[in-house]
Amino acid sequence: MKKVPTVCPYCGCGCGLFLHVEGGRVIGVSPNRNHPVNQGSLCVKGWNCHEFIHHPDRLKTPLIRKNGKLIESSWQEALQYVAKRLSETISRYGPDSVGVLSSAKCTNEENYLLMKFTRAVLGTNNIDHCARLCHSSTVGGLAAAFGSGAMTNSISEIKDARVLFVIGSNTTEQHPMIAMHMLEAVDRGATLIVADPRRTKIADFATIYLQHRSGTDVALLMGIMHVILAEHLVDRDFVMRRTENFHAFEESLREFTPERVEKLTGVKASDIRKVARVYATEKRSMLFYAMGITQHITGVDNVKALANLVMLTGHIGLPCSGINPLRGQNNVQGACDMGALPNVYTGYQKVTDPKARRKFERAWKRRLPERAGLTVVEMTEAALEGRLKAMYIMGENPLLSDPDLNRVREAMEKLEFLVVQDIFLSETAEFADVVLPAATFAEKNGTFTNTERRVQLIRRAVLPPGGAMPDWKIITGLSSLMGYPMQYRDTYEVMEEIALLTPSYGGILHYRLDNGFGLQWPCPDRDHPGTPYLHRKKFARGLGTFLPVQFRMPAELPDEEFPFVLNTGRTGVHYHTGTMCRRTTVLEREEPEPFVEINPRDAEKLEIREGQRVRVSSRRGSIVLRARLRDNTSEGVVFIPFHFREAAANLLTNPALDPEVKIPEYKVCAVRVEPLEVVKRPKRPRRVDIEELRIT
Amino acid sequence: MKGWILPKNSLSYWLRQLRKDSDLIGPLRTPDGDIVFESVEKIHEIVLDPPASLPSVKEFFLPQYETVFVFKTDTVRPIQEKRKRVIFGLRSCDVAALRLLDRFFLDSQPDPYYSERRKNTLLISVVCNRPDPTCFCVGIGAGPYLKEGFDIQLTDLGDRYMVEIGSPRGRRAVREYSFVFQRPRKTDLEDQFEVQLSSTARFQQRINLEGVRSLILSQRVDEGFWQEVANRCIQCGGCVYVCPLCSCFTVTDRVYQEHIERVRLWDACLFKGFTRLAGGILPNDAPVSRTKRWFYHKLIYYPEGIGGFGCVGCGRCAVVCPSKIDMATVVLNIKRVSENAVSG
Ligand code: SF4
Ligand code: SF4
Ligand code: SF4
Repeated sequence: MKKVPTVCPYCGCGCGLFLHVEGGRVIGVSPNRNHPVNQGSLCVKGWNCHEFIHHPDRLKTPLIRKNGKLIESSWQEALQYVAKRLSETISRYGPDSVGVLSSAKCTNEENYLLMKFTRAVLGTNNIDHCARLCHSSTVGGLAAAFGSGAMTNSISEIKDARVLFVIGSNTTEQHPMIAMHMLEAVDRGATLIVADPRRTKIADFATIYLQHRSGTDVALLMGIMHVILAEHLVDRDFVMRRTENFHAFEESLREFTPERVEKLTGVKASDIRKVARVYATEKRSMLFYAMGITQHITGVDNVKALANLVMLTGHIGLPCSGINPLRGQNNVQGACDMGALPNVYTGYQKVTDPKARRKFERAWKRRLPERAGLTVVEMTEAALEGRLKAMYIMGENPLLSDPDLNRVREAMEKLEFLVVQDIFLSETAEFADVVLPAATFAEKNGTFTNTERRVQLIRRAVLPPGGAMPDWKIITGLSSLMGYPMQYRDTYEVMEEIALLTPSYGGILHYRLDNGFGLQWPCPDRDHPGTPYLHRKKFARGLGTFLPVQFRMPAELPDEEFPFVLNTGRTGVHYHTGTMCRRTTVLEREEPEPFVEINPRDAEKLEIREGQRVRVSSRRGSIVLRARLRDNTSEGVVFIPFHFREAAANLLTNPALDPEVKIPEYKVCAVRVEPLEVVKRPKRPRRVDIEELRIT
Repeated sequence: MKGWILPKNSLSYWLRQLRKDSDLIGPLRTPDGDIVFESVEKIHEIVLDPPASLPSVKEFFLPQYETVFVFKTDTVRPIQEKRKRVIFGLRSCDVAALRLLDRFFLDSQPDPYYSERRKNTLLISVVCNRPDPTCFCVGIGAGPYLKEGFDIQLTDLGDRYMVEIGSPRGRRAVREYSFVFQRPRKTDLEDQFEVQLSSTARFQQRINLEGVRSLILSQRVDEGFWQEVANRCIQCGGCVYVCPLCSCFTVTDRVYQEHIERVRLWDACLFKGFTRLAGGILPNDAPVSRTKRWFYHKLIYYPEGIGGFGCVGCGRCAVVCPSKIDMATVVLNIKRVSENAVSG
């Protein structure tokens, strides 16, 4: 038996683990005890991440659609066909008729290569990935305020913090190892403040829990800042020396008295005051947020409000003091860093900046497009309008993950050509003209960047099944066929090129990552030890800017016809569209079917019982699933996880976008809930006494 | 006089001989400094005084994932591993745990997979001169050294090992290479005794499971206590996975084009789906009922059914539990709470 050190493929915590290999198969997993994030622990997904690797459903040969059916083919045939069809599309309709989706599940090297392929070979900036749907608001908001949009602290600082303010993050289930550090901080006496319309597990450990109405985050934060200002808790020195635009911002707070905010958010004025005082007066205050902040039409405003809050109190730029967007996917941070976005190259160098463009043109020896490209949701629009003719999708599953799935499906149907590169035949791959079988994290070398900017090595433990190939090899092969040879011996050579072109990754090379636990960017040169916390002494952009925001209500509010607010998200045992975890025995058994969480009081009014099937409909679609009565959502709100193709929550969601970064409003839309059949109340099973269940 | 002396210089020779017909497993240092048990290529790289392995030795007898048989329409082919193994450097608690696990897997209805592996594996355990801070085997009699139950037990005496033999399998492994072993002298035995004493004195925690068992049995631990414990649990399954005495597994079928594989994999009673009944009913939906059962199983039911605690004090659950509700912590809390209740 061999144990190969690598990184968990699920979430942005980026836990260090060993894959146990015997006879060419991965047969187990164990945690790394010295890893700074997980310190010998893993969550249930990590413990079980070995199982999908050898699942029989793995794609093993390329597939080409012939007469409506996906037929096995050789690599050569498949790649030549893709090359031909893409070239034809480009010569007939122009390069911007092709769209590319990169993947937050793939390595940095693969994201870089696909980004290079898109820009240098296809000649378009139409590249994006699922970060658009989770943290584009962060990238937009924090970049505007500070010049850099990432977690400012390190996970290992959490346990030493005095105040943890967690807003819109179901940390225990979605970033379990970060929650572990939070729990340790609480055990050591830190004050935990949790604000979330849905009461999740982390709230159980909170000193103060605020249940504000969905979509009223800006108001809540403005209220808190109003109190900080009114009670003279502002860190004047910090504001004077390190920020600008304070006065314009100060003005914008005026009307947000706690009493008014109470009306808007449902949070008591006294609680708002309390939170303001605790957060502002303690030092070592860390702020955390996730999708509950970003997935709104006011996503960027929410993030800006948080940035204002940390600047107002001077809680940034020190250890245990900062603003921390918790990034979802294992490598969503990296995919963004690598420029798998329509407007930037690696390290957020703008495509519209002629100097940056010139640099990449010289390195890549191709003319590069000047205009920013289309985002994920805009690609759907463009396809519907017939402007986008072909798509190349690597490791993403928009047919389950994007809002308003009926429209996405229609868009996919309209495409003339669709290529999907994945490890399983996902909902999207089922639609493709060509499917290319890819390798999992256990079958390739490369790097992932976790949520605290830690670039870590993943190592090949086994060979891919059948003819499957690592994504980077597929891209280089295709590129060569399209007349732009890409030659790399292995991914370390790709990383070297990334380092050369990306200031923040300048010193990040595979050989430096081999012993130890990676490097945290910015890491400008080969001697640099990495940066545990950002914005020390000055912000990435120089002075931090206060950005006044305005309060807006969500795009779609409940009304007579659709009286409930729908909130969507994930469960603790599944990940996104479930391609991996739903093929994992114990994970699938924990949550085998879709459900809707509804407040018991609402359920009573609608005569819905636990486990009963209900129909949930919005203006866009309708699904049938079982009801789960829970009082962690307040009355008038229901929650549905989006993992399940059987009842895809995203058939219901509203594709209304944040005007700035085009993130859709997954967290709020209006729905109706109707019980399906009236079942007789089943006899309550007799309570089985624990003594009777004993197994010896 | 029982026992042999193995000069440290001869250790690698002896292991090399044993490896000739077996896979040699031992503790090795990973590039980032952790220690794991894996197949040994270079014998000199074996870490001689490592912390307790993670996961426990259980993984070599009840693997996390194993194909038990393959079937087609009309044939069934059992997959049984016949390969011989030598596991070097495991700890006393692991050996003690295996002895109890044997009773689960071998008594009444023997499990052929476990039994085959057990038969084909030689265990060379090493007395812990330096217990980890999380260890508490000493109060349970599962370490730091054992009096019986091992195949071969080594005690590090500086430049040599005291070698004790506890089974026919162990005897063969020593007898075949008897020329590298020497008869112990009286001073060797004195040194061995000294190591045993000093190691026993080094434990940072003493935990009396018996006392806690009676506290629980006399109803001195209320539901609220368990509620609080359960509330912290994130159901990662880690404690069950690493515990050498937890034997939960599940079975599933993997359907390939040409054949079907019946697979057995680790499971955990802490998952609500573990006891899922037809129709989706979850008898243990409340986390507290599962958490409480895990502790009851180890502290109450195990002694009744198997005759020893379902815990050997290896401390592994303390390493993996992200919520700090491992055996030692909970047991110490039970004590503290009930003592306060008495004095208050
Ligand atoms: S916390 Fe995230 S990275 Fe860690 S084991 Fe769980 S899913 Fe994997
Ligand atoms: S309960 Fe914990 S300390 Fe006891 S044997 Fe199991 S893992 Fe070791
Ligand atoms: S290790 Fe801790 S958190 Fe995980 S299942 Fe066990 S008790 Fe619960």
